[in-house]
Amino acid sequence: MKDTPLANCERDFLLKAIEEKKRLDGRQTYDYRKIKITFGTDYGCCFVDLGRTRVMAQVSCELVAPKENRPNEGIMFFNIELSPMASPAFEQGRQSELSVKLNRQLERCLRNSKCIDTESLCVVSGEKVWQIRVDVHMLNHDGNLMDAASIAAITALCHFRRPDVAIQGDEVTVFSPEERDPIPLSIYHMPISVSFSFFQQGTYLLVDPCEREERVMDGLLMIAMNKHREICSIQSSGGIMLLKDQVMRCSKIASVKVSEITELIGKALENDKKARKAGGRCGFAESIPQERITALKMEESPVEMMDVTERANDIVQKAEAPPQTVPSPVVPVPGVGQVGQGLQNTWGLEDDDEEEEEEEENGNRGEEQEGKASKMEKYEKEESRGGDVVEISDSEEEEVVILHPETSDKAPVNTGSRSSSHQKGAAKSKKK
Amino acid sequence: MAGLELLSDQGYRLDGRKATELRKVQARMGVFAQADGSAYLEQGNTKALAVVYGPHEMRGSRSRTLHDRAVINCQYSMATFSTAERKRRPHGDRKSTEMSLHLKQTFEAAVMTQLYPRSQIDIYVKILQSDGGNYSVCVNAATLAVIDAGIPMRDYVCACTVGFVDETPLADLCYAEESGGVSSLALALLPRGGQIALLQMDARLHQDHLETLIEAAMTACKGVSKVLDEVVRQHLQEVSVLTGE
Amino acid sequence: MEVCGSSNVSLREFGCEQSLLSRPDGSASFIQGDTSVLAGVYGPAEVKVSKEIYDRATLEVLIQPKVGLPSVRERSQEQCVRETCEASLLLSLHPRSSLTLILQVLHDDGSLLSCALNAACMALMDAGLPMSCLFCGVTCAIDTDGQIITDPTAAQEKESRALMTFAIDSTERRVLMSSTKGSFTVHELQQCIAVSQKASEKIFQFYRDSVRRRYSKTLE
Repeated sequence: MKDTPLANCERDFLLKAIEEKKRLDGRQTYDYRKIKITFGTDYGCCFVDLGRTRVMAQVSCELVAPKENRPNEGIMFFNIELSPMASPAFEQGRQSELSVKLNRQLERCLRNSKCIDTESLCVVSGEKVWQIRVDVHMLNHDGNLMDAASIAAITALCHFRRPDVAIQGDEVTVFSPEERDPIPLSIYHMPISVSFSFFQQGTYLLVDPCEREERVMDGLLMIAMNKHREICSIQSSGGIMLLKDQVMRCSKIASVKVSEITELIGKALENDKKARKAGGRCGFAESIPQERITALKMEESPVEMMDVTERANDIVQKAEAPPQTVPSPVVPVPGVGQVGQGLQNTWGLEDDDEEEEEEEENGNRGEEQEGKASKMEKYEKEESRGGDVVEISDSEEEEVVILHPETSDKAPVNTGSRSSSHQKGAAKSKKK
Repeated sequence: MAGLELLSDQGYRLDGRKATELRKVQARMGVFAQADGSAYLEQGNTKALAVVYGPHEMRGSRSRTLHDRAVINCQYSMATFSTAERKRRPHGDRKSTEMSLHLKQTFEAAVMTQLYPRSQIDIYVKILQSDGGNYSVCVNAATLAVIDAGIPMRDYVCACTVGFVDETPLADLCYAEESGGVSSLALALLPRGGQIALLQMDARLHQDHLETLIEAAMTACKGVSKVLDEVVRQHLQEVSVLTGE
Repeated sequence: MEVCGSSNVSLREFGCEQSLLSRPDGSASFIQGDTSVLAGVYGPAEVKVSKEIYDRATLEVLIQPKVGLPSVRERSQEQCVRETCEASLLLSLHPRSSLTLILQVLHDDGSLLSCALNAACMALMDAGLPMSCLFCGVTCAIDTDGQIITDPTAAQEKESRALMTFAIDSTERRVLMSSTKGSFTVHELQQCIAVSQKASEKIFQFYRDSVRRRYSKTLE
């Protein structure tokens, strides 16, 4: 699917509006859109809404062997998925340039800045360490995916709890969440990225571009900082020429924005902690806005089961009964040819378990023929048995249990007796 | 890394340089005859080879043709023998793709692409030996290659990686310094106008130090541009002597 | 094998929100207890020439798991959802077009496939795509005692002997798709189908209520 191209008149309109310091949604140049952070049911799941851009992050952990050159440190793995849901331009499975760019930026922002203490993730040095995996899914693309992804990733990491581990000598025990409370990750600082978009060869600057503004921009400058005013990562992209004072100005704006956003994240984490302690149900379900007409909730409701049994019995009895005499389906085990042997007689003559057992234990074509001959003799003896599957194979399996299809047209009593006779037959064959 | 002093008390670094000293730059242009432009550049122990083809007709996907500009296609790869441990995947992994994108972005800003609409310019850079500052060496080598190909540019594109240790900016980091957890900043500059084509920084750095670091990077880049300028002029002299002018 | 009482046969709490994403043509999130799935629909839109069908729309379903990359399990679930949708959508009204349905698993606490089907139906409704009937998904589990449990949680699913998901259509309550795991008798199968048909009435009523609520302001 292709994205709708931007019309020239729309482009000119946007650029003209930016020249007059006007934005499509009425924001000021340095204003962020409304940020909303919600958490899912389990630890480490977080949803971030940046205006209409929607992003979900999930953190999970697993014990793996560490990297060879870093035996004492845990591993962090980041993955940003540009889901086709977010925009018609995103295709499933293709590593587009945008995907590589976002992934690398997130990795540099969170991994290179050492925001997580990786040494605390080590369980047994050189053998087992925790691998923390952060999956960020883009749900709706309305501009500024990088900022939303960085907020979601760091909030999910702060929210995540890993299982507790106890080491006694050589034994390592990993406790499940029911046995011992899981423990949070040790996070040194929270790097948050702020994006600046440049227009008209760097003359105009906007913070937090929306999707339309992103389409007409010349380039993007991403500055990741934490609230201690330490810059964790700077990345300019898009082929723009910057001047040093522009970069300095942007870093000052970024520090202000980052402290605001960090406060917001802190508040959201606090609220979630309180809600979980109070024992209430938390999660995506709770965050559905009740007042909107596009949302509806229904309580747990029982399902009427009054006449279910009768109905089922009806259907089962009225069902077309399978034919009385089912020709034994011949199933050649793969790898065995049928050349020269001829197919099994399909005139509805029954067969017996035990004969097949003989066949298989012989494991020899010549003897199979003999076995078949004796089978033919036995046909007249056996009657009214369900269709048996005849397996012609060279396998030397000792024990084979053949499942018989149930015929439901007989009354339950008969079924009982038949199954018992089947069992007898199977028992006999097993003895062989 | 304990015990490895990146900057000694007397102001000397691991390889004996001073804080603002660049590594020795040696370069040659016109290394390959069949390519439109090529250059080989050594900065200390980091060696890079850059080759330019173009401008030529769009190859591959015709749909990416731009009606008013040339498309610049960059590919960055490292030779498998370039690092201490053999590199398993020389290209196609995320880091190489990211570097290629950065190179493309840098040169899109500098090359005058409006002069060649509906065309394509290919820039291929290969690192033969990696000892820190990969991106900067690539950019410098590619600049020389583009000049060798005769493609007009707004200005030289010079790049340099600087680090920050003990309140002092170190210019032109080597591998030991880069992996020592130093905050490093890579900057690609067009020296005459002081315009920054690419700015990339990892690791933590306090905001107040940012200005000093960028200043140091710009000074270092201007130093590199002088060296590149000399190389170009010398090459031109050699060539003009050969053609008998 | 008899079903005793109606103690275990209940549907968990439902929730649904439509039009929550701005880019897709239709979107819906469906919540059953703690299991939630977000669905987005794009279409009818341009289709690649290699995939186009001359007289129908091409329906593509993508299921994205929460952690990791999609694997074979997601492919089989996609197949189930796609066949259900193809049975109920009027694809011949949009020849040479593409309809893309993307399902994102937000949390899996059992009955994932039926939650995905419900979310898909609501998203298709939200996108305004013409359908001949609505469909809903119901999951039944048969536990070790032979009791039938509808809409099982993940813990109940683990303990169960058999797990079945049926897609039921709204006009005649017939089974559009069934996906089963485990062993069970024909009798049990028919009972589960009957139970699912009963349960689907509740779900269709929920669909009606939410759509009525949605358009309550416009219909006034």
